[in-house]
Amino acid sequence: MDFFIALVSDPVGFWNSHTLLISQIGINGMLATSMFLVLYSGQLSLAAPGFMAVGAYVSVLMELYWHTPFAVNIAAGTLLAALLGLLVGLPVLRLRGVFLAIATIGFVEALRLGVILNVPITGEGLGLKHTADPLGGVPIILVSLVAVVLVVWRLTKGRLGSAWAAIRQDEIAALSQGINVARYKMIAFVLSAFLAGYAGALEAHLSFIIAPLDEQYGVTRAVQILTFAVLGGSGFVLGPLAGALIVTLLPYIFLQAGPYINIFSGIFLIAVIVFRPQGIVGRGGLALVRPAWWPRARVRAPSTG
Amino acid sequence: MVAACGSTGGGGGGSSTSSYAGKTIKLGAVFSITGAGGVYGPQSRDGAMLAVKQINASGGVNGAMIELEVQDDASLAATSAQKAQTLIQSSQDLALLGPTLSNSAVAVHPLAESLKTPILAVSTTGIHIVPDCNWTAANPNSTPCKYVFRDSLGEETAIPDNIKSYAADAHPTTGVLLVAQDDKFSSDGGKIVQNTVAKYGINLVKTIPFSKNAADLTPYVTEAVQANPNVIFITSLGAIPAKIMNTARNLGWQGQFLGGNGFNTATVSNQAGAAGKGARSASAWYIGNTFPSNADFVNAYKTEYSKDPDQFAAQGYTGIKILADAAKRANLTFTDVAGDRDKLRTAMESVNIQTPLGPFQFTSTHDVKQTVWIIEMDGKGGFKLDHQIQAS
Amino acid sequence: MDQQILNAIFIGSIYALFAVGYTLVFGILDILNLAHSAVFMLGAAVTYTVVVKYGHSFWIACIVGLAASAVIGLVIEYVCLRPLRRRQAPPIAALISTIGLALVIVAAIEQGTSSSIFSWLWVDGANSVAFPAGTVADPIWHIGDLTLEASKVVIIPITIALMLVLGYVMRYTQVGRGLRAVAENPRAARLMGLDVDRMISLTLVISSALGGLAGIMFGLALGDISPYIGRDNVEVRGLAVIVLGGMGSIPGAVIGGYLLGMIEVLALVTLGSGASGGVAFAALFLVLVLRPQGLFGTRLRERL
Repeated sequence: MDFFIALVSDPVGFWNSHTLLISQIGINGMLATSMFLVLYSGQLSLAAPGFMAVGAYVSVLMELYWHTPFAVNIAAGTLLAALLGLLVGLPVLRLRGVFLAIATIGFVEALRLGVILNVPITGEGLGLKHTADPLGGVPIILVSLVAVVLVVWRLTKGRLGSAWAAIRQDEIAALSQGINVARYKMIAFVLSAFLAGYAGALEAHLSFIIAPLDEQYGVTRAVQILTFAVLGGSGFVLGPLAGALIVTLLPYIFLQAGPYINIFSGIFLIAVIVFRPQGIVGRGGLALVRPAWWPRARVRAPSTG
Repeated sequence: MVAACGSTGGGGGGSSTSSYAGKTIKLGAVFSITGAGGVYGPQSRDGAMLAVKQINASGGVNGAMIELEVQDDASLAATSAQKAQTLIQSSQDLALLGPTLSNSAVAVHPLAESLKTPILAVSTTGIHIVPDCNWTAANPNSTPCKYVFRDSLGEETAIPDNIKSYAADAHPTTGVLLVAQDDKFSSDGGKIVQNTVAKYGINLVKTIPFSKNAADLTPYVTEAVQANPNVIFITSLGAIPAKIMNTARNLGWQGQFLGGNGFNTATVSNQAGAAGKGARSASAWYIGNTFPSNADFVNAYKTEYSKDPDQFAAQGYTGIKILADAAKRANLTFTDVAGDRDKLRTAMESVNIQTPLGPFQFTSTHDVKQTVWIIEMDGKGGFKLDHQIQAS
Repeated sequence: MDQQILNAIFIGSIYALFAVGYTLVFGILDILNLAHSAVFMLGAAVTYTVVVKYGHSFWIACIVGLAASAVIGLVIEYVCLRPLRRRQAPPIAALISTIGLALVIVAAIEQGTSSSIFSWLWVDGANSVAFPAGTVADPIWHIGDLTLEASKVVIIPITIALMLVLGYVMRYTQVGRGLRAVAENPRAARLMGLDVDRMISLTLVISSALGGLAGIMFGLALGDISPYIGRDNVEVRGLAVIVLGGMGSIPGAVIGGYLLGMIEVLALVTLGSGASGGVAFAALFLVLVLRPQGLFGTRLRERL
């Protein structure tokens, strides 16, 4: 409880002594927004940790060996992640639902176990130690988060957004309306990769080491990011953000549970999703893997059912 | 999360530094209580809490009570750094213990260094932790870290000592290294094995990397056994050493297992069972050691927790004793935290006390200088002592 | 090399048995039950505790372990799935509720120490343990260059026999026809007078019992029982297997299991061990790109 009391009683002191946590919330918020983009366009992609790894490793390697400025490193990492997004997107975007999810898991783990762990310059299993300024990252991260959310929100309100929504609701119908489904899905996928790469590059500079761990750049991280989006609600851009905030704060919310913290966290996840299946914020937006026979949320169930 | 305060004692404790009386020395610890590091973190915590209880019960540090706040990092490096920041900047703790895992230490130690707060590692054994916490591949000669200390035995000491001792006993000529490539602890150890073996006339025939999440290690062990080496080196921790030993023995291989700190828990010896018999490692602590304060520690621990302590409990216990000794001599003001942290840091450099690990002093680079025990698994879930290597 | 093929068949059997539970639930409900790996672990953990803490024979412990797994199957249905169906939630919501349950189960075992409230369930915390030597007779035979361990060899016929039985039940019995009807179209099945909820409960029970059995055999043969064996060692591979085999297909999951075992071992032998972890996932990626319905999936479900 001390945590939340301090938040209210001494906000400035709280802010100064929790910069790492606040930065992590910001990073996770951007990752959640990256997940939002693909979910909003009807794609269950779990590729984000792969793009994060590209952003992180490229920016840190440039820092270590070329001594280029911070902004250049971050930009290069982000752009390479987006480029890789394009290359990966070309073959996989015709997959749907769970098949896309598993194919992207294949990409993430092949990159982590196959490439990063076997290319000496990445430090392999030892990871890459580098110099960082973990406590100074808050302003750039929070400004980035706000900018990212605003831009993505604008996009969902525009022509792109309505195309994505149409694809999500019914891909065949969208096609028949003359929407270039492949192109709009690719735009969402590459933007999502761009964001994940950016968040990954920034996150790498919050720590003195990056290492190819599962909880960092593997399936575990992918599932965590998906949890942000689904728990928060993926129908509106603020949903995943709320999910990221809550999930990142779980260790503090249930601090009193001590060693039993994950039991409470797990029950909390179940309770939230059972009582708010559409997520905490907004409604709808999750139709992407709805089977044909599954009851439609907004249609009144037939009395015979 | 867990706070220990003295229940008895108080008063001046007969100390000359009366300004300590009635004050509180706030210490923090970041341990892995949940997650995979939960194999070690709880023992470190229990050892540290026992020391706090004993010190406070016997009058505290010159009359000041120690308060230890233990935070769980869930075995995650990012969480570890967050919790450390909070302990340093929000709780305003004088010094920290931890974190449990090397991977977290690499993230947390430079942070404590930049916040000028003493941090004492009590379980981490990896490379580039002390004193070169600012080491990077591009800048290998970074300035030494001033605030980072370690009372746990680094693999850079343990693995070479172990190999040297076995080489002197049995003169092996060939070896195979099995290393969990996605685990920093194991990769660190693997690097040390690779850099050490040649010195003792062992030809490393093969290095076999595997993922710590591989469902079955049999294919990797089969590769190792087919090379038919004298020695198989295992640098992993958790379930992996025992699985490798069982599989290799089942495949009919008769050679010697050598390892690192990952061998040094009763769980591993137990899980390996008969297959582990003779497997050797270097340990920072041996339950039967005859140092003056060891028997006291073992008995008190058994009374408190109804089980035997292990290496991690002994190191956690020692950690608090070191900080308490430094605090006693540091002439703390209890008003200027930053100044007190500097004084404590300086006092830590000249610690010279009796601990369960033996007479304890730091080296000039803040690492541990202590007796190393070469132990082997007895095939029944325990260990027996092979050699005692005096601190050099 | 021969030994390596044997290794591949052994681990392939474990993959198959584990993945069949996944694929059964997916075939009927179109959801991924991410608590399945926790059930795998719990089956092994409960069996271990009944042997070591309560001193019963391995066979009694096995029955208790399987029963516990089956009960968790019901918990998954009643706590994680049915409330979501009642609320007409999209299937992706079930990912989160089953992740939540997995978190609870893993945490209960991880924090099970002699001084915790879960000491009746597990006392070794985050440690990994093995059944004490002699829990069951486990002879080892050396034939030529081959080493055969009974605890591993026996898994192969058990897996194949169970899959044949399961295939028979699904195809030729009343229950099987009911399950398939629910899989095809639950609304029509309900109109035909089938109790759909009961069919789904039954599916979860069978699926979880198979998952628990896979866990017990994994723990026995590899001497590794810890809170993390499901999550770390088999979960992602199980997902890979059901996709390789074609989602929802039981024979596909079995073949997919053996295939993954073979890919991993062949990559190790030919490319060296450093790459082998990545190769299996790269293969998964390629298979999906080239054959989006999986290797043995007959049709791409339109509803996906």
